[in-house]
Amino acid sequence: MTKLNIAIAAIVGGAALAVCGAALAQERTVKITGFGAKSGVVRVFGVNSEAAMKAAAEEINKTGGVTLGDGSKAKFTVEFLDDRCNAEEGISVVRRIASSDAFVAIGPTCSNVAESLFGILQKKVGDASDSGLQFPIIADVAAKGGLAKISEWSFRNVPSELEMYKSLMGWIKTQHPDLKTIYGGVEKDFAHSNATYGVMKAQAEGNGFQVLGTSEWLLNDTTFSTQVRDMKRANADIVAISAHPFTTCGVLKEMDRQGVKPKILIGLTSSSSIETLQGCAKQAEGIIIPTSFAPVTPEAKKAAEQVAKFGGSADLHSAATYEIMFMFKDVIEQQKIMARADTVEADRNKMRQGLAALKETSGLLGKIGRTTDREAIKPFLFVQAKDGSWQVLHKPSS
Amino acid sequence: MDFYLGLLQVIGVHTLLGLSAYCVLLTGQVSLAQAGFFAIGAYVAGIFTVLAHWPLVPALGASAVVTGAVACAVGFPALRVKGLMLVVATIAFGEAVRLFFFNFTYQVQTGTLHLGPHGAEGFRQIRYFPEHGWSTFDVMLFIWTVVAVVMAALWWLDSSRAGAVLRAVGEDELAAQSSGISVTAVKVSAMTIGGVIAGIGGGIFAHYTTHIEHTQFGVGLAAFAIAYPILGGLSNVFGTLLAVIFIQGFLIEGLRFMGDWRNLLFGGLIVLAMNIRPRGLLDAGAVQALKRLLFSNRERSGA
Amino acid sequence: MNLLDLIDAVQSVADGILFGSTYALLGIGFTLIFGVMHKINLSYAAASIGAAYASLLILTVIKAPAILVFLTAAAAGGIIGYLVYLVGFKFIPLANPLATLMSTIGLLLLIDEIIVHMTAGVPLNYPALFSDVTIHVGPFSLRGDLMFVFALGCICMVVLLLVLYRTRLGLATRAVSQQPTASKLCGISTTRVNVLTFVITGVVGGIAGAMTGAAIGMLSPLLALPLTVKGLIVTVIGGLGSIPGAIIAGLVVGGLENAFQFFRGVSERDLYIMLLLFAFLVFRPGGIFAMPAGRD
Repeated sequence: MTKLNIAIAAIVGGAALAVCGAALAQERTVKITGFGAKSGVVRVFGVNSEAAMKAAAEEINKTGGVTLGDGSKAKFTVEFLDDRCNAEEGISVVRRIASSDAFVAIGPTCSNVAESLFGILQKKVGDASDSGLQFPIIADVAAKGGLAKISEWSFRNVPSELEMYKSLMGWIKTQHPDLKTIYGGVEKDFAHSNATYGVMKAQAEGNGFQVLGTSEWLLNDTTFSTQVRDMKRANADIVAISAHPFTTCGVLKEMDRQGVKPKILIGLTSSSSIETLQGCAKQAEGIIIPTSFAPVTPEAKKAAEQVAKFGGSADLHSAATYEIMFMFKDVIEQQKIMARADTVEADRNKMRQGLAALKETSGLLGKIGRTTDREAIKPFLFVQAKDGSWQVLHKPSS
Repeated sequence: MDFYLGLLQVIGVHTLLGLSAYCVLLTGQVSLAQAGFFAIGAYVAGIFTVLAHWPLVPALGASAVVTGAVACAVGFPALRVKGLMLVVATIAFGEAVRLFFFNFTYQVQTGTLHLGPHGAEGFRQIRYFPEHGWSTFDVMLFIWTVVAVVMAALWWLDSSRAGAVLRAVGEDELAAQSSGISVTAVKVSAMTIGGVIAGIGGGIFAHYTTHIEHTQFGVGLAAFAIAYPILGGLSNVFGTLLAVIFIQGFLIEGLRFMGDWRNLLFGGLIVLAMNIRPRGLLDAGAVQALKRLLFSNRERSGA
Repeated sequence: MNLLDLIDAVQSVADGILFGSTYALLGIGFTLIFGVMHKINLSYAAASIGAAYASLLILTVIKAPAILVFLTAAAAGGIIGYLVYLVGFKFIPLANPLATLMSTIGLLLLIDEIIVHMTAGVPLNYPALFSDVTIHVGPFSLRGDLMFVFALGCICMVVLLLVLYRTRLGLATRAVSQQPTASKLCGISTTRVNVLTFVITGVVGGIAGAMTGAAIGMLSPLLALPLTVKGLIVTVIGGLGSIPGAIIAGLVVGGLENAFQFFRGVSERDLYIMLLLFAFLVFRPGGIFAMPAGRD
């Protein structure tokens, strides 16, 4: 009798464990945390990034999720934290994420937050004298040049503005050999637009254009009559504006008022979004902007639909977020990350290693190369504002 | 754990910012210039540790000296401006300081790297803490040692005659002057002390964020600086500390679970707090009530 | 400097002066509140922009002409003004100026966040009147829409001055601002006067917000803080409590802003405006038109 009882207990117990085990295995989740600005004028970036993360997670989960190091499958869940585009808060948010079981994070939106954040990370892996944080972070939106090289734990999936404007200027030169002069406009007090203008100017000169001058203004300026008048006097063939939608629209409206009509208008990458079209579609007609996202491939179209489903819109920034989630799936599977509470430190190291070892990742517009500086070389194309929407003007072959 | 230590760091530095405004507020001057002094302290300390390779404490000392000098210089013209015009004047001063740093470039080349403040791009790589192996706990301890010293100094000042003189000028300038108090000396000293505290706070700020730029030191930060002592109450230094914990700990980090609503609640709760407790969270009435609570217990247990 | 530069300089200053009428309208609001209640309402510029945003709501219902949008902004401004009074001033004892300062800062943050939440922070197009009209005077051109804003500002000033000096409400307002205790003894309800002051300045603020939106062509939450700073500077330069002072100071600041921009570029422009303010504070602290000092 006792032996029978023991046997029954064992079978029941074993069955229960098996069921529990199976249930547990089916419920494994990996939480990916993103962070960025969901307050202030840059709120739209945070909203889009979050939507892109959720859209990508759903796509990945539909195909079964991600395979962990022990062979089990896990689904992605997404959390997004708001850093209000504030360096102190960004650092606080990352410390919060690093105090949990997370082994990687996506963010931030603002370049100034990224500067501070990457600065508190350990500079060189294995440097015992450096007490910096050891946690891999990959940025989807912060676009100021050269940020990823601040630390070996910082990565980025943002397009190289140097490459994009080099290609754009070169293409314009070949398409319009009669155009010789260019005049620039720059939003001086914002890190991104300021730095990118340097790139635009250098690439224009490198391609044989003569820079007749530059007009400057500030991020929240409201009147541009003086600057546009200088532009008018210079009467250049091409005008390049490195500014975000608010001041870009302000300048374009003033140009319209003063009758300044350059043969070609070039804009800043970040301004190739619906914001510009909502603010000044009429005056922005014809502006050419290089971007690393447009719904031209089947993957891109699908991604755009998915992101819209989650309340965001797909543009070059949120597309980068979407691509990063897939990058994570690849690295987790490659590096056999366990994603358990007791393997956190090892997982973080594996994640960093995996991201650093990537030579190529698949993006929505094609293959993305990765540099030793932990930056991305993304395929890009030129879009033009036409009839109130962004239409693809040219896809460079290289 | 790291997260809580980091939060304590932020609370500490913001307490210094709040205390600098508190000092000036005691004499009845509403100063929105503290963010400007904070900025000067940040840049000066950064320049000394990064470009001149000074250790941290002397660099903070340099910040204190420079900011104190600037604050003293600001204190004199501030005398001519009363009440709400001082608010505007100090906002303008803060903006002027910010614009100065917007234009300020001083780069030194070491090897292939360019170090130093670079105008609109800011001052990057102020990595004194990680480079010297300071852990989050070490930094937190350092910050709170400074905060404790400053709070103790202010508490001692408050309980001495100097504190009474400061508050007398704050309550009724005419009466104070009639009693023979040199209002000029008191107001300028308060502004200088406030400047020194803000300078030290700014110096530490630069080091724990590793990157500073002009946009961080705008009217927003100045508003926070003045919010802490007003919200906390002017009776004693702990009010400011309480307000910093309330804003940074509760409103900013604690309410994170509310997601998008957090930011709306931020402004809303400040308005509510001012309506319910216009003299601050820890005003004179609250302090008396606390004292009675604490000391009456002790009496009872003693007897 | 050749003739072309001279023409450009004058044109810049002219443009600046016209644009300065938006600053003037904001200055009127700040100065009125200070004049009557001796308090600063730091949320005023944000509330004005908020009223302009609110007026855009009417466009989602019907395709309204620009003038209707402006009137909606004025009405919205009045409502927001009353709410600001209710939440930020009514329950706080008069003896606590710091508390009202803080509550208005809280309101500034709140209004800003509400705008950001409703619009995702994206700049919105704002209708303008006469935006395609340009008047040419010799080699100079004057923007039609800015001239309209300028004219509107002048009308506002005249109407406000008429109200202040020719109506009983105006008399009551002036009485309360000069001698609050004595006016109570005369039976004037200070509360009613305060409420009406906030509503009237709210309406002016709504118009100012709408005009700013029309002059720029767009609305953005970016505008709130810089307009607050400029509005305060204009108020102080014009003299706290003086409406003609606010108008003239607004135009002067607008013109000088562009002049500094023309001669010294954008990096130093705002620095000079601050220096101008300091100069005024040192040499003429009362502003252009110092308010006649009442008894304590």
